[in-house]
Amino acid sequence: MARLDPVDVVVVGAGLGGSAFCARLSERAPQLRIVCLERGDWVDRSAMPAYRRDWQSAALGAWATSPNARLSVDARLPSADYPIDDSASPIKPLMWNGVGGSTINWAAHVPRLHPSDFRTKALGGVGDDWPFSYFDLEPYYDLNDTAMGIAGLAGDPAYPPKRSPRMPPVPIGRMGEKAARGFNALGWHWWPADAAISTVDREDRRACNNAGPCLMGCPIQAKASADIVYWPAAIKNGVKLRTRCVAQQVIVQGGRAIGVTYRDATGATQEQPAAFTVVAGNGIGTARLLLASNVGRGVDGALGRYLMFHPIAYARGMFKEELDGPRGPIGNCIYSHEFYEHQSGRPFIRGLQLQVTRENSLLAQAARLEPAWGAAAHRLLREEFRHSLPVMVVAEDLPEAGNRVVLTEGVAADGLPDVRVEYTVSENSRRILDFGLDRAEEMLRAIGAHRVVRVPLAPVTGWHLLGTARMGDDPARSVTNARGRCHAVPNLLVADGSLFPTAGAVNPGATIGALALKIADDLAREVIG
Amino acid sequence: MTPAFLSAVVDTLLPGDQGVPPLPTGTAAGVAARPEPLLSHRDGAEHDVALRAIARAAGGEDSFVRADAAGRIACVRLVEAEMREPFRALVALVLQDYYEAESVLVAMGWRVEPPQPAGHPLPAFDEALLEPVKRRDRMWR
Ligand SMILES: Cc1cc2nc3c(=O)[nH]c(=O)nc-3n(C[C@H](O)[C@H](O)[C@H](O)COP(=O)(O)OP(=O)(O)OC[C@H]3O[C@@H](n4cnc5c(N)ncnc54)[C@H](O)[C@@H]3O)c2cc1C
Ligand code: SF4
Repeated sequence: MARLDPVDVVVVGAGLGGSAFCARLSERAPQLRIVCLERGDWVDRSAMPAYRRDWQSAALGAWATSPNARLSVDARLPSADYPIDDSASPIKPLMWNGVGGSTINWAAHVPRLHPSDFRTKALGGVGDDWPFSYFDLEPYYDLNDTAMGIAGLAGDPAYPPKRSPRMPPVPIGRMGEKAARGFNALGWHWWPADAAISTVDREDRRACNNAGPCLMGCPIQAKASADIVYWPAAIKNGVKLRTRCVAQQVIVQGGRAIGVTYRDATGATQEQPAAFTVVAGNGIGTARLLLASNVGRGVDGALGRYLMFHPIAYARGMFKEELDGPRGPIGNCIYSHEFYEHQSGRPFIRGLQLQVTRENSLLAQAARLEPAWGAAAHRLLREEFRHSLPVMVVAEDLPEAGNRVVLTEGVAADGLPDVRVEYTVSENSRRILDFGLDRAEEMLRAIGAHRVVRVPLAPVTGWHLLGTARMGDDPARSVTNARGRCHAVPNLLVADGSLFPTAGAVNPGATIGALALKIADDLAREVIG
Repeated sequence: MTPAFLSAVVDTLLPGDQGVPPLPTGTAAGVAARPEPLLSHRDGAEHDVALRAIARAAGGEDSFVRADAAGRIACVRLVEAEMREPFRALVALVLQDYYEAESVLVAMGWRVEPPQPAGHPLPAFDEALLEPVKRRDRMWR
């Protein structure tokens, strides 16, 4: 094993958290030598399927959202995946492993958490409080928004005023307008999505042309992803990004991290010594590496536990008139936070988001029918395609120790132990989903849906991998402190979605970006004073 | 497996319809014209298991080919009930080719060209719709 020259900071993972962290730390402390190890490669935008006739089936193969689905394909993969045993979880984990991480195939819907999400324990006696408030994170939300470029509309009464500039919102289309009329008829809140998507041409990022399949990457760079919004700055600031390098172990001696061993693109093992080690491999990758590194007592208690996904259900309304179908950026249309804040008298704790999305491709819509074959399937598809309006119910997933990431006996091809996800949808989450489905159906009926299909739990929706190395003040219930430093190993930091003590009921990307920027600032302050 | 058997299975799964414009049958859309994936004999390939079970249920490939529509459907239903996962794998495979065929996209009122570079036009957002929401008091806590 070769021992490389020591650096100040080694970062594992060039996904959303790792990228934002590297860009910010290198800006605030340019004198630091920073190396980032990323298991995957840069994505080749010219290979993205949106220009190809077989774009629909690409979503089931090499460009699927699920790493397991991608690995089952006999082809060279654009994402450097590892298998995840998800047989003990009704929700299947999804991600992208390459520069940019899961923002390569995310939908770029970027709501913030609510201020109350940071105080679930203080307000309602459930979950755990974050070690800081929404308002402590707010400047970093603004910074992350500015880096990504947000399309949206100021003034949403569900949030404190947002100061960062906004481009015009993505068009909400016929589906958004129809749902908006439904929410208005019932007197419920709704607002156009905050999207990390350019709606105007900007330098090398073109305006979104509503092509649709954002979950296979955006070849025109309208959609923000960490590879294009954070890495150019980080590289310019001197950060060394080493791709196709899989971190194998964080080396801990005498309660201090002394660096990382990794397998490089040639298969050789290297040791990268560093004064600080930062792990940003996402809610599964981070737990896997830290568990494999056996980083010591105190970290072990909560490490890998409290996994949160946001359980998802759908109600789809069918309408006589023609709607948009798969036109427009899939995750970004309008949302309602009418039932977001906790309210006593409801049959559950905490709340939910109703998110109106765009439709899937023709093939994906055909494949989800029941039955999916025969004359009945043709009839159903004619009724649904371009006539359906999907409403997604996003439930707040409370942290539960039994929901976790564990290592199993085997060793994967990447050299790390195999990993398994164990997860159960709680009673409370189930009640939130049922309540949300009732409300979604109420809205759809109010605007004339002649049929509503309910999907009580959508399995392929493990987009959000949160909580497995959570922040907190109590070392028994958390892995890191408020500055992302592990309680047991203070020069070992985490800077990704694993840090969330609670998850709220919104997509986490804006918060992950903000958190990583804040952790970088905190470290810069401590190191350079 | 014989081409006639594969075609008969494909057209039972995808019979087409008489809508305007009509949906073609699976074979007319070219699904069985590219038989390699259907013929793949990778050990344990799930769709292959389902295909063999369909032939068995009919009393042989030829019997399935000679059966009328109702008889074929009955065989397929039997296999669907018996082995859900292999059957779904078979359906997923034929759907892939079918819903990417030009004639099917046109029949469903969708365009043949991929999403890029043309994208799709969508009307601009009418902000007046938001007036009632803008009048609301602060909702966050
Ligand atoms: C299909 C999809 C749609 C989504 N849509 C949205 C959305 O609309 N809005 C939203 O807010 N969120 C969305 N998300 C979630 C969002 O993308 C993630 O929450 C976010 O990217 C997670 O950031 P992260 O830094 O925690 O991890 P990631 O961005 O996943 O990055 C982790 C990185 O670490 C690398 N890595 C892991 N282990 C190692 C190792 N041992 N050595 C070296 N490198 C390693 C990985 O390759 C990866 O690049 C979506 C996710 C998916 C998959
Ligand atoms: S819909 Fe817009 S953001 Fe999404 S992939 Fe297409 S152009 Fe990019």
